[in-house]
Amino acid sequence: MFGSWHKPSTSSTATAEPGAEQRPAQPKPGTRWPWSLLTGLIILALAALIPLSGDAATLHTWTLILMFAALAQSWNFLGGFTGYASFGNVFFFGVGAYSTGLLILAGRPFWLGVLTGAVVAGLLAFLLGLPVLRLRGHYFAIATLGIAEATRELVAIRNLGGSGGEVELPLPALSDTAFYFLFWLLALACFLLTAYLARSKPGYALIAIRESEETAEAMGIPTYWYKIGAFVLSAVPTALAGGLYAYWSTGFDPPTVFDVGISVEMVLLTVLGGAGTLLGPLISAVLFELLSFQFQISGSTFHNSLLGLTIAIVTIFIPQGLVGLVQEFFRPLAPGMSRRQLLVEGVRRVRRAIAANGV
Amino acid sequence: MLVLAVRSLPVRRLPFHREVSAMLIAQVIVNWLLLGSLYAAVALGFSLVWGIMNIVNLAHGAFILVGAYTAYWAFTQLHIDPFLGLPLTMLLLFCLGWVVQYVAINRVIRAPFLVTFLLTFGLDLLIADVVQLLFTSDRRSINTAYSGFGLTLGTLHIPFDRLLAALIAVLLTAALSLFLQRTRTGNAILATGMDRDAARLMGIRIDRIYALTFGLGAALAGAAGAMLVELYPFDPSQGGVFTLRAFVIVVLGGLGTPWGALAGGLVFGLAETVVPLLPGIGPGYDDAIAFALMVLVLIFRPRGILGKAFYA
Repeated sequence: MFGSWHKPSTSSTATAEPGAEQRPAQPKPGTRWPWSLLTGLIILALAALIPLSGDAATLHTWTLILMFAALAQSWNFLGGFTGYASFGNVFFFGVGAYSTGLLILAGRPFWLGVLTGAVVAGLLAFLLGLPVLRLRGHYFAIATLGIAEATRELVAIRNLGGSGGEVELPLPALSDTAFYFLFWLLALACFLLTAYLARSKPGYALIAIRESEETAEAMGIPTYWYKIGAFVLSAVPTALAGGLYAYWSTGFDPPTVFDVGISVEMVLLTVLGGAGTLLGPLISAVLFELLSFQFQISGSTFHNSLLGLTIAIVTIFIPQGLVGLVQEFFRPLAPGMSRRQLLVEGVRRVRRAIAANGV
Repeated sequence: MLVLAVRSLPVRRLPFHREVSAMLIAQVIVNWLLLGSLYAAVALGFSLVWGIMNIVNLAHGAFILVGAYTAYWAFTQLHIDPFLGLPLTMLLLFCLGWVVQYVAINRVIRAPFLVTFLLTFGLDLLIADVVQLLFTSDRRSINTAYSGFGLTLGTLHIPFDRLLAALIAVLLTAALSLFLQRTRTGNAILATGMDRDAARLMGIRIDRIYALTFGLGAALAGAAGAMLVELYPFDPSQGGVFTLRAFVIVVLGGLGTPWGALAGGLVFGLAETVVPLLPGIGPGYDDAIAFALMVLVLIFRPRGILGKAFYA
């Protein structure tokens, strides 16, 4: 999604830069889209080779990486494209996990549970979206956070699936490699959906809502229904991931599958990569989760500190995300500049982008 | 938080429809007022920071946590009474908040809301993790010489420490209101909240005003934490709950004034005191109640009870 659109209202450089009119013309929308698509597909194709290594720990790590890639990409549909930052998307993860868990306990096949979870999550997203998507900004974020927290409490009190909401499942009939490819398929599907959104009318409508909801409405976009559509779109893959996770992990409880940390990780990965970009969530899922696992393997208990510190560094220094930073560096310049001048200019722009949000 | 609600209401186990007497109703009202004022203290700093800087400070719960553990540490190590040590706790938290704002949040103050939202959440994770590292995740409580004492009128019981906490909460609200209205610095804070760029043109140092405001917010959170640890057992996992509650309280009361936090706290306390007494509900639904209340208010009166266009 490099440069397929520019964000005048949110991009820090556009507002803080007096000399903006001297800047050369923007690249034509979407000139870099095929390259982003290709890069993403190459990353996913390489990921498909991981099971060849035969190492169980690596497979485990990469299964979770792909799961978080799918989660972050599905958060991106609403949070990145549409600009409605949900802090409670883990709710749909939990719904998927509990639908799958309860149906397996009732003796049904696991695929039925996962699909039911997706349908239920889609319906819930529609019904909850009706009131909640009338809220904006902080209010929407906290309302979604509240939904997830309240559900966690209710599931535990109502003893859903077991005492305190704890669910114990039989060992899965699928091999770890099979699970890996299921998560891989999910991540691939999310990526292709993102690529479609980045170059299609519905996707442009969502971006228009992010840039200015009133203008979008005035242009004839039924913003309310598009927002609800994006909410459903972001809920369904999240629930699928939750269902797969439930069967894969063979046991879970409300604090794990309704963990607010998962919601925040979806937001962090998307923002770190670049909200509303095609490649961002995928790249940052791989980078951040690898780093995070490195910390866990070394036996430290600082996962939360690491998460918190990364969040602080990302938000302070690269709020426009890695993709945005690269894009800022490579923005086309006037012809005839030497390589050295290009480098200096690129670094200057990146530094200005970093400092642009201060008091 | 469950503990907070249950201990606030020793009469809960009685069936509501049977032993309703004048005394019982009086006790419920007393409990409500005490709990509501305490909630006002929890939300006061949050309301100030949100109203002036338009930042939803998700690290608020972490500041409450630091306040609680500072009071706990001062009590166990230095034998300082939590109420007497309140100024000390507030001073420490003020410095912490000032630094956090000056070093971190001031750098992203113009970024879209998601960035500050995420940043304060990251700080919350970080601070809560450090607190847990220093004090472990065990439950802590303070038992002073006077805990358990109180005024008793017939069957009506008013615990001394809870009364004192409620009085301090109201006092802090009044003091903040006076400070904002009557002092030059307070007026500068209000002016910055109304129009950042105009305030800068009037010669106000925005970065310092923001750091001061955030420091005050943290100090008030610290005061709330110190009083909470005096009244209820505490552990490091409770920070997030208080952030969510503070948000709901501020939404209920409105962003306009410090008194909005008090109004919101009282409404929230009322819901938490009365709803579990209703037949068929029972205790344990604190978060669900909080969330349902907030959505109702946002739909019917988005400005809150005492809400105004700006903080004044």
